[in-house]
Amino acid sequence: MLYHRPTGSLKVSSEQISPQGKWSAVQPAQFVESLKEIVGADYVIFHPEDLLVYEYDGSVDRSMPRAVVLPANEDEASRTLALAYREGVPVAGRGSGTGLSGGALAAPGGIQISFTRMNRILQVDTENRTATIEPGVINLDLDTHVRKFGMRYAPDPSSQKACSLGGNIAENAGGPHCLAYGTTTNHVLGMRVALEDGTMLNLGAEAREIPGYDLRGVFVGSEGTFGIATRITVRLLPLPETVKTFLGVFPDIDSACSAVSAVIGHGIVPAALEMIDALSIRAVQNVTDAGYPEDAGAVLLIELEGLWEEVDEVSREVESALWETGASDVRVAEEDSERERLWLGRKTAFGAFGTIAPNYYLVDGVVPRTRLTQVLRKVSEVSEKYGITIANVFHAGDGNLHPCMLFDEREPGVKDRAMAGAAELMEYCVEMGGSLSGEHGIGLEKKEFMPLVYTEQDMDTMKLVRDAFAPANRLNPGKIFPDGEPYEPSLQRTPAQADPGMYV
Amino acid sequence: MTLTSTLAQNLSALVGADAVLPVEGVSLDGVTPQAVARPADRQQLSEIIKWAAADGVRLFPRGGGVFSSLGNLPSQVDVILDLSRLNRIMDYQPADLTVTAEAGITLATLRRELAQGDKYVPLEAPLPHRATVGGILATGFSGPLRFSSGLPRDWIIGACVAGSDGAETRAGGRVVKNVTGYDLNKLYTGSLGTLGVIVEASFKLAPLHGTWAGLAAPFPSMSGAVNSSRELISQVYAPQGLQVISVDVAKKLGLDCPGDSGAVVLAFISGRPRAVARRLEESTRQLEAGGSAGSEALDEAGARDLLDRLTDLPWLEEDMPSLALKVTLPPSNVGSFVDAMELPPGAGIIADPGFGAVQLLRWTPAGLGDSDPGVTLALIESVRRNATNLNGSAVVEVCPPGVKAGIDVWEGCVGEAELEIMRRIKQNFDPAGIFSPGRFVGRL
Repeated sequence: MLYHRPTGSLKVSSEQISPQGKWSAVQPAQFVESLKEIVGADYVIFHPEDLLVYEYDGSVDRSMPRAVVLPANEDEASRTLALAYREGVPVAGRGSGTGLSGGALAAPGGIQISFTRMNRILQVDTENRTATIEPGVINLDLDTHVRKFGMRYAPDPSSQKACSLGGNIAENAGGPHCLAYGTTTNHVLGMRVALEDGTMLNLGAEAREIPGYDLRGVFVGSEGTFGIATRITVRLLPLPETVKTFLGVFPDIDSACSAVSAVIGHGIVPAALEMIDALSIRAVQNVTDAGYPEDAGAVLLIELEGLWEEVDEVSREVESALWETGASDVRVAEEDSERERLWLGRKTAFGAFGTIAPNYYLVDGVVPRTRLTQVLRKVSEVSEKYGITIANVFHAGDGNLHPCMLFDEREPGVKDRAMAGAAELMEYCVEMGGSLSGEHGIGLEKKEFMPLVYTEQDMDTMKLVRDAFAPANRLNPGKIFPDGEPYEPSLQRTPAQADPGMYV
Repeated sequence: MTLTSTLAQNLSALVGADAVLPVEGVSLDGVTPQAVARPADRQQLSEIIKWAAADGVRLFPRGGGVFSSLGNLPSQVDVILDLSRLNRIMDYQPADLTVTAEAGITLATLRRELAQGDKYVPLEAPLPHRATVGGILATGFSGPLRFSSGLPRDWIIGACVAGSDGAETRAGGRVVKNVTGYDLNKLYTGSLGTLGVIVEASFKLAPLHGTWAGLAAPFPSMSGAVNSSRELISQVYAPQGLQVISVDVAKKLGLDCPGDSGAVVLAFISGRPRAVARRLEESTRQLEAGGSAGSEALDEAGARDLLDRLTDLPWLEEDMPSLALKVTLPPSNVGSFVDAMELPPGAGIIADPGFGAVQLLRWTPAGLGDSDPGVTLALIESVRRNATNLNGSAVVEVCPPGVKAGIDVWEGCVGEAELEIMRRIKQNFDPAGIFSPGRFVGRL
């Protein structure tokens, strides 16, 4: 087996933190005082009990930061980085802490820069259809704001109600509507970023294309290891003329999978194409009435957008594809309220899993979409083999699975079985021509699995870019790449932590 | 024909005479290479790179050579690396909407193969029978449909690149959504062969269906044309591509254009027939309300033909402009940019008011002779000033080697702090400086 089963705690070797290989001589108290001088005494968190909430993000890992700094502006962020750099202290950027791969967790002895105070929408440019924002702006807040101007921000990731745009950039976040519109990287035009030593750079611009190496492109999705975005310009899209949402009801997963292939095979790329399996339907209906039939084997949620003529024509093709592949019912929603009800189920699913089991662990594999049937069969096999309940709510249209292992960690040995099952699924996705993560990132969670996908040389080539941006590797050290220092996953404690609106 | 240079002889010994081509008639910006290597396969390519790295031989990767005027004047051209034999389709999965192909495949061949499965790759290029996938990626080329189709960076999902040690490394994969590791695909796209040799790339595809239509709408003035286009582009029924061309360009394309200061708006529309009909109808109505007189609708064949000819125009070997600049700027500034430009004789404009790009082209009028370099330099200077004032940047894409020797074609495009990161990237990827040295921004 290529991967290491996590056994130790998150460790970062001293070389990863400081090129000199030693810690700064500055005492923590003095360091905290220096941080306070930059941002003000109220905005440095350093008492252990106050730090508790910064110990984890949405992932399975935990790591207590030495301090958390909340800058008010770019200058404070830059000076904080410069100070940390001088003192040899590693830094992790933190948006809302909703990430699922450990991206926002501090390295041991490291600090977090939290962007909750930098949450202003600075400008909406209706002429050029762009918005310029601070990194702490919440994804849904931006979208809601720009809708007043007849526009929208297309990427709609997991915890859209809670996650920040800065975090979206770090992870190259996706979401249901990325099927048609692409992920975060396709929507970021420009960024001002702070490097590990506090140097500020402008990546990209208001212009959609600029000459030189595409630093903006390679920065997005670098999981906070290249720099920290402090000011962001994103592209907005005009609102479509017509939106139509379909609920396809299927007797089983296999027929729902063939419907996915049939839709895509008809040459249709919907705005969104999501699948919700029987277990998830039951969970959803336990907490809300999304109108999903409780005896269905699976439902597909399909959204079409565009000119009225396009949507009208494609609708008929979608409907016939659904019926031909064995749908027992097809419902269509055109009114906003009806559409929202259908989406409510999708968006409530992860919170609703709490009605089935107290703990969950989510896998983010991605496969070529024609392999969905096979991979979902594998999911059932794994479920049986390890005795773990697995629910599936996922982005079927782009082959991005989210098998969710549900269990009660008080049951002896169940946690290890869940992790082993997750590992087997990740391996299988890669075997099927897929990859480890579609939208959640590698972080701490999956770094030991990277050798399943990339050779040592592939990863060394990636590190060449990190070495250019962050030669001292002070930003988010110990993430993404395997380092032989595996970690102990501590698992999502209670489902109540998940935002009820979270959909992943 | 003899293999005169030592480099050619060494290459021949290394990979066989079959993989070494004559240098006659081959040049890069007027500089004749010492050798042209055409590796038969990836193994040979790897051997050539290892040899070059060991001996400090400078390699200039080339696909179809369509964009070979792009970049600063190379100080010395050792070997042009012709990648045309690396042209296989490695994996095409129509139902997954993905394809993986070697970089030397031409866009025309790739399109034809993809059409067999009713798919297409939304890449654009002039002279698609020559332009290769590798060349399109290396230059990051985009065409008249960039407003709706985006750029090559938006479609690439994976790449294999031969690095300075001759070994291939992989980034991304064959799935349409992937955040596993750094997105080096973005870095390679537009890097002009300075980080390695792109050997293979994977792309997301789009379904091929529906029809095309077009519209050529003459306007009495360039600014009227740009303003009307800006209005149109913000509508839900906007065309997929909208270009404003000046008189000289219109003439080259055989289109009627009123007066000496007029312009023509070209709209390209694709999709399902009913939607195409509506977009065409609404576009015509809106452009006419904005001051166009006598617009002409184009059918599918007419629209596609015009789109191809427009894309090819600046890159036709038999009628190359002597000067071509590409300006990118915020879309709302396109109007101010064209208003501020005073065009010398023989110069024309192709503006993309939806995306925010302007191509400025000049075909040197006959009889200008020696006085021309001064005009050319003055024009470059004024375009740059103009672009910079409007939050944009300008790249000289085509210019006579004599003029190029005195300028940096990327001048003012990249700030010093950003350039420093680019320098480090180049240094880390290509420590021996063997990949297209001197061509890129900052003479990387």
